[in-house]
Amino acid sequence: MDFKDYYALLGVSESATAEEIKKAYRKLARKYHPDVSKEADADARFKEVGEAYEVLKDPEKRAEYDELRKYGQRGPGGFEPPPDWQSRSHFGGGGYTEADAQHFSEFFEQIFGGGRASGGFQRQHGHRMRGEDIHARLALFLEEAFAGCEKQVQFTTHEPDPQGRLPPRMKTLKVKIPAGVRDGQHIRLKGQGAPGFGQGEPGDLFIEIELAPHPLFTLDGHNIQLTVPITPSEAILGATITVPTLAGKVNVKVPKGANSGQKLRLKGKGLPGKHPGDQIVVLQVVVPPTQSPETEALYAQLAKLESSFNPRMKLGV
Amino acid sequence: MAHQDNHPITVMLPEQSLEFSFHEFCERGEVHGEFVVKLVNYGVIAPVRECVKSEWCFDLAALQRLRKAQRLQRDLKMNLPGLALSLELLDDVNRLEREVQQLRQQLRQLLGE
Repeated sequence: MDFKDYYALLGVSESATAEEIKKAYRKLARKYHPDVSKEADADARFKEVGEAYEVLKDPEKRAEYDELRKYGQRGPGGFEPPPDWQSRSHFGGGGYTEADAQHFSEFFEQIFGGGRASGGFQRQHGHRMRGEDIHARLALFLEEAFAGCEKQVQFTTHEPDPQGRLPPRMKTLKVKIPAGVRDGQHIRLKGQGAPGFGQGEPGDLFIEIELAPHPLFTLDGHNIQLTVPITPSEAILGATITVPTLAGKVNVKVPKGANSGQKLRLKGKGLPGKHPGDQIVVLQVVVPPTQSPETEALYAQLAKLESSFNPRMKLGV
Repeated sequence: MAHQDNHPITVMLPEQSLEFSFHEFCERGEVHGEFVVKLVNYGVIAPVRECVKSEWCFDLAALQRLRKAQRLQRDLKMNLPGLALSLELLDDVNRLEREVQQLRQQLRQLLGE
């Protein structure tokens, strides 16, 4: 078991006052709150600082922790509390004001113990109560969202054991994702949430879809956007070019006199659904990296012919 | 140990149809109705419409927002005006981040990277 340095986690010294500890905790809680922070480990960091504050804010627990910190053994298998260690603090009876007891570390459980058995999780027998809804996230590639797919969703639920407690239980479901789900969209699995109590029905499982960025396509709701390079001659003369879509390659007619930034709409080639999206092709004129002497000579002739065209007129030059 | 169910479950896309009555909304959010009324009054959440007997109806987005509001209030000890402002600012940050991400990707494509 690893020793948790609660002072280091909150970035305070051992001699910090209660006010300094509170201040440090509040600052870190704002920084790492999972609904605020974008950092990948925000959830874990938030739980860590919550656990540290839970101990250090209480003079009795802090004194116990300081004692352990001083005398606890750090053997080859990690930290071990002294053999006769017994905490004087009790965490039952809904004492968790800053964090949820079930999220505390093994270290915390070992030292202060009993948190998981607190009355907060027990529900009265004979009382009818609907099971809790569970919210989970599922990352998909754009291709999977376009075509629909079958995925495994893993989530934690709390189901009652014979003692009436609600230990966490990992559950895995195979889910058929319909074609055309969008980024941020929620899908609902009725009755797959936590079980109800008494005659109460189970909760639902809500899955939020998270689409991974695609190297070529960008999404705007149901529409898919793609930047397509064309040559200067294709832009001036017009052309039929091949363009990739998520449903395969299609031929697209570039109109005469097309320009960079011009958009062409491929109806119904976006994400499928009741109202299918479109694919928006954004044209980008690209100059070939090298020119042959013949091409240069022809461009020199063109330059003379287009001398009346000033593309910088709006700049006043 | 993880429980495995091998039968694929067909899902429904609730955004078009799923609405909760005021009572169901409070039950799912595990909150008192008074708190929901306060959140509506502060503009933190909004009912989609009034349904049966002039009662409010909420959609799934409102339920998600309610849960977020609960977490922020519990964890950061925020009052309602602070909560309303924070959620609005977080929405703005998320929208702007999405836009920046899209524009960066388009720029990379334009530059041929």
